[in-house]
Amino acid sequence: MPYLLKGLLMTIRLALVSEACILAFGLIVALLRISRIRIFRAAAAVYIDVIRGMPLILQIVIIYFGLGHLGIGLSKFAAGVLALTICYAAYEAEIFRAGILSIHKGQMEAARSLGMGYFKAMRYIILPQAIRRVIPPLSNEFIALLKDTSLVSVIALSEVFQRGRELMGTKANVTPLVGVAICYLIVTIPLMRLVQRTEKWLSRGD
Amino acid sequence: MIKIVGLRKKFGHHEVLKDIDLEVKPSEVLVVVGPSGSGKSTLLRCINGLEHATEGQIFIEGTDITDSKVDINQIRQKVGMVFQSFNLFPHLTALRNITLAPIKVKKMDPDEASEKALKLLEKVGLKDKANAYPAHLSGGQQQRVAIARALAMDPDVMLFDEVTSALDPELVKEVLDTMKDLAREGMTMIVVTHEMGFAKEVGDRLIFMDDGEIVEEGLPETVFTRPKHPRTKEFFSKILSHI
Ligand SMILES: Nc1ncnc2c1ncn2[C@@H]1O[C@H](COP(=O)(O)OP(=O)(O)OP(=O)(O)O)[C@@H](O)[C@H]1O
Ligand SMILES: [Mg+2]
Repeated sequence: MPYLLKGLLMTIRLALVSEACILAFGLIVALLRISRIRIFRAAAAVYIDVIRGMPLILQIVIIYFGLGHLGIGLSKFAAGVLALTICYAAYEAEIFRAGILSIHKGQMEAARSLGMGYFKAMRYIILPQAIRRVIPPLSNEFIALLKDTSLVSVIALSEVFQRGRELMGTKANVTPLVGVAICYLIVTIPLMRLVQRTEKWLSRGD
Repeated sequence: MIKIVGLRKKFGHHEVLKDIDLEVKPSEVLVVVGPSGSGKSTLLRCINGLEHATEGQIFIEGTDITDSKVDINQIRQKVGMVFQSFNLFPHLTALRNITLAPIKVKKMDPDEASEKALKLLEKVGLKDKANAYPAHLSGGQQQRVAIARALAMDPDVMLFDEVTSALDPELVKEVLDTMKDLAREGMTMIVVTHEMGFAKEVGDRLIFMDDGEIVEEGLPETVFTRPKHPRTKEFFSKILSHI
């Protein structure tokens, strides 16, 4: 069991580091996607479509082995973070975008007519309101991400699922997988409850 | 103060403003009336650059804001705008709604900005609501905070776009009173409104717009009682019969 728990720690670390990158990159992609500059919009749209049209596991393999072939040797952990970021940022960019567009256009106009530039208006007026609205969907994405870190086992990163499979090989039975399942559930179930509570708490104000 | 020359605005093929010439002098209160869709809001939005003029020039204190080299954010600090739908920032308290732009745009010291905001809130009769969020204020109170917010930038001219039409009748007066005070203090104002009492009392001049053109202009009283143009006559006979 300690062997699995260490794997779980790796899973959590992978998810947290990736999530930080995903939020930053996803927000940037969302801002490009709604930019007034057409090439930015087009580039962001192509990125979002291409990434969402491919399985995550394929992206992980391409990044780890593909970059390896090009002489850019990433550690398994870094490759995992990079692949998860590239993939999930495409989804979260769409969530950010929907959140930003859901803010009434009068807010932007009021901010601009006070002399705030576009970026100041975004930062102080639009994003604070949009982020409140996207917290629930982004939290659900985080739970999905946490489970999807198991896919990084294809490049043999020693996270909890990978360790479970190794144990299953040595012990020649499936009980380690039950342990793996428990590992995921002790994290995901409390998270799901937390998301529900936050949702309730956030909708109080409306 | 404001001079508009040959202003045209098209949305696609639809020409919403057709060759508008207009001048507003300092401390003047100009009332704009006209039927729905006549281009009143578009005119105001052109004056603070929320819409780009298709043709013509708009001078604000000598600066042509249709010139692409002009820093529109600089101009907007001089032109306050109040909207029909208030557009207060719901995630900020009344006080923060007012202090945000002075702090972030004018780099005013936060304490100084708060002090000034409290004075403005007092002026609009809402000093006790400084820490209330917009959702907890009535429409009339929200609109008065919105006026205070615009005033906090020390604008030279204020634009009001039907600021009382979204309000319940009993809340209209408090907002109009605030605007009357402003006019008395010598603020230059362009006011789109159908409040004829207000227009007569504080309006120095009235323009009647129809279909993107200024059809008639004159003293509010005169235009109400003796409109010259048939379209003006028709419009006033309609709204007066409602009152
Ligand atoms: N962003 C836009 N795109 C296309 N058409 C627009 C846009 N904004 C306004 N219009 C059109 O321009 C015309 C004038 O609109 P505007 O809002 O200036 O009228 P208004 O006089 O303020 O009317 P109301 O009394 O209803 O507020 C209308 O026909 C409107 O449909
Ligand atoms: Mg209008």
